[in-house]
Amino acid sequence: MTISLRQRLIQGLVKNPLLVLLIVMVVAVQIATGSQLNWPNLRGVLLDGAVIAIVAIPGAMLIISGYIDLSVGSTLALGGVTAGMIMEGGTGNPALAVLAAIGAGVLVGLFNGVVTTYFGLNSFIATLGALTAVRGAAQLLSPLGRSTFGDAFGFLGVGTLVGIPVAVIVAAVLLILAALFLRFTPAGRHVYAIGVNREAAYLSGVNVKRIPFVLFVVSGGAAGLAGAITVARLNSAPPGQLGVGFELVVLTAVLLGGVVFTGGEGSMFGVLVGVLFLGLLNNALTLLGVTSFWQNVATGLALVAAIGIGAYIHVVRQKIESAQAARLAEQA
Amino acid sequence: MTTSVTGLTKRYGSTLALDHVSLEITSGEVHALLGHNGAGKSTLIKCLGGGVAPTSGVMTVDGTEFASFDPRTSIANGVAVIYQNLSLIDGLNIAENLFLGQEVTHAAFVLDRVQHRELAQESLARVGLNVNPNTLVGELSIGQRQLVEVAKALQRNARLLILDEPSAALSKTEAERLSELVLGLKADGIAILYVTHLLNEVMKLADRVTVLRDGKNVWFSDMSAGVTKDDLVEAISGESAGAISRPHPIAADAMPALSLSDFGGPGIGPITLDVKPGEILALYGLVGAGRTRLLQTLFGRLPTRSGTVAVDGEIVSHSRPKKALSARIALVPGDRAKQGLFGSMSALDNTVIRTMGQLSRGGIRNIVAERTVFDRVSDRLSLRPKSEVLPAARFSGGNQQKILIGRWVNDRSDVKVLLLDDPTQGVDVGAREEIYRVVRELAAERGLAVIVATNEPDEVMSLAHRCLVMQKGKVVQEIDVATTTAEKLLALIHVDAVPVP
Repeated sequence: MTISLRQRLIQGLVKNPLLVLLIVMVVAVQIATGSQLNWPNLRGVLLDGAVIAIVAIPGAMLIISGYIDLSVGSTLALGGVTAGMIMEGGTGNPALAVLAAIGAGVLVGLFNGVVTTYFGLNSFIATLGALTAVRGAAQLLSPLGRSTFGDAFGFLGVGTLVGIPVAVIVAAVLLILAALFLRFTPAGRHVYAIGVNREAAYLSGVNVKRIPFVLFVVSGGAAGLAGAITVARLNSAPPGQLGVGFELVVLTAVLLGGVVFTGGEGSMFGVLVGVLFLGLLNNALTLLGVTSFWQNVATGLALVAAIGIGAYIHVVRQKIESAQAARLAEQA
Repeated sequence: MTTSVTGLTKRYGSTLALDHVSLEITSGEVHALLGHNGAGKSTLIKCLGGGVAPTSGVMTVDGTEFASFDPRTSIANGVAVIYQNLSLIDGLNIAENLFLGQEVTHAAFVLDRVQHRELAQESLARVGLNVNPNTLVGELSIGQRQLVEVAKALQRNARLLILDEPSAALSKTEAERLSELVLGLKADGIAILYVTHLLNEVMKLADRVTVLRDGKNVWFSDMSAGVTKDDLVEAISGESAGAISRPHPIAADAMPALSLSDFGGPGIGPITLDVKPGEILALYGLVGAGRTRLLQTLFGRLPTRSGTVAVDGEIVSHSRPKKALSARIALVPGDRAKQGLFGSMSALDNTVIRTMGQLSRGGIRNIVAERTVFDRVSDRLSLRPKSEVLPAARFSGGNQQKILIGRWVNDRSDVKVLLLDDPTQGVDVGAREEIYRVVRELAAERGLAVIVATNEPDEVMSLAHRCLVMQKGKVVQEIDVATTTAEKLLALIHVDAVPVP
């Protein structure tokens, strides 16, 4: 079956309506501000986006398979504080600090995974509990926080390779790996199968517990890594402030990117678009001199609008597919 | 009051579910509606209830046409449908359920509980249910819930009550009580459309009978004209269109491919049976006879309590679906949407969901090989449309069933035992014959042991070598299909059987 370039384009736009908005927004801002959206400015947007993307990748996969991880904001803090404890004064081993941050996150992920997949607790509730508990754990670990970590560790936060921030490269690599995983491995397809119809997946011999379990562990590890990057950038690790509300930012980006909250649908390309849209929207409003209060209003409304448009397009798509099916059936 | 339906037609894509069906039901009569699964009964009652809008045709009450086709209009016209899946809310009590959406209030907000209880008691007395209206619906038996549902309909001034196989899930006593209620309501001047498989009920209750087949009216009679059960059986099954196809012969001396000995699970068994390679065995019985349970237990969906299962002479473990699949046992479930399909995923993904693991190398999918598998199996099963990318939910019922069969029986699968639960449920007549052909051919070509659970005599005739009649979770009779007829099979469960508690 051959599809013309035009059809492909239409299908692509139907699947990612936000991409159109994104492009329109960038062009409009360029015109309105006289090209203030330059590379240094964009680099800041990308760096913010990278931290969100790293956590949003496994987060989106969890939602696709019908689960959710709300604990990532606190897990980020735990990871950040762990790295900070090793690096304080700039004498520790940066690699060890990053691994320890990931390890701390993995522990949280193991807990979430066991409780939700093997004990069958609702993931929304279980990880909501973890959100509070892990925040407390981070504060217990280092009540006053840590700071001044040295340049070697700081490289993770502010350093660049060929002009691109390290964190952005990490996020890009993870994003590509995740997209390949979802498309080209049986386990990747099973992520969707579990989200679409868990019962049918179980009856088809899919391991309906192990896959979400592993995703929870990865989600925890990713949040830990994001914590290390964040404290490296800040050069301090305040356990009470790190990643507060971060889980909702991640969720907003994922949903903006067209991942369906009830599971079964979504893509890594969508996550990329969602993260970029969120960052560029706030950046555009800043460039236009809009206060942060109004930025919050705009971001919230954008989410609601995006979900509304998404639902509408879903209906249109189903009609197109039905018509297509009827046509194909008649040809046969 | 007379409710009538004239020239009602419902088209789904290229399928005609109803083809110019006409029907008239008047106050004070019980009108029985009969026909095989897929004959159009449920589409017809959904149209009457407003759940489905017909493609063309008219529905009238005392000559006044229905203004539109939606549940609200039907209720306003006095039509109430009591579906098999009752629509009560378990967490509310009886009175709350009865008044849901029509609460009696003080000053527009505060519920008048006293009046609720009194009115509820009256309604319950009318259906002969002697239960406190404050009882939670979740605590009631299925029979009691059904009565609550009838009470709810009456309270909303229903004048035409449509009962969809109301006795299917009832015990014998409950079914008898229901019969009395139906006759009582009839005496009160309510019109009743009674959908059933049980001919004894028709003989006892009905004043007039309409039989549907393939979406058309095929038979109508006044019961006072001396209608017998044999007449009904003949009308339902109809003249067999020429010679029906029969399954391919099997080698009589072959070792059994599947053996169950003293096999039992919750509500079924103990059952001992053998199925030879290439043999198709029908488990025939009414809904609730234990056919589905037996298949689900064999596939590890329900726990096994006793006995052993052997595939090709080797005892296998089948405690979970995954293990059953490893033991080369596969199930095509009866509830396609809930247990089989990944609706929003492509036909290709649906077909190779299990095979993709076996085809993959180093954890990476072999998409070329997957396509080949899909290509071959969709040709083999004449999947229409033959599209890799179309989501499974967009295919017709028959083609969805082909996708599910293809999931287990393809070039790369090793399935030896294929369990088909009600394989032509919701499949139109044309696709039905095609599925029979495919199953017959696959069984013969690949030496599969096939078990088909069904309540359709025609299905037994077209598919099976042997037929086991099930009742109350046990095999009660074995029938050699070659020497029986669809009429005899129909009479066997529908005339003599009592509903299973």
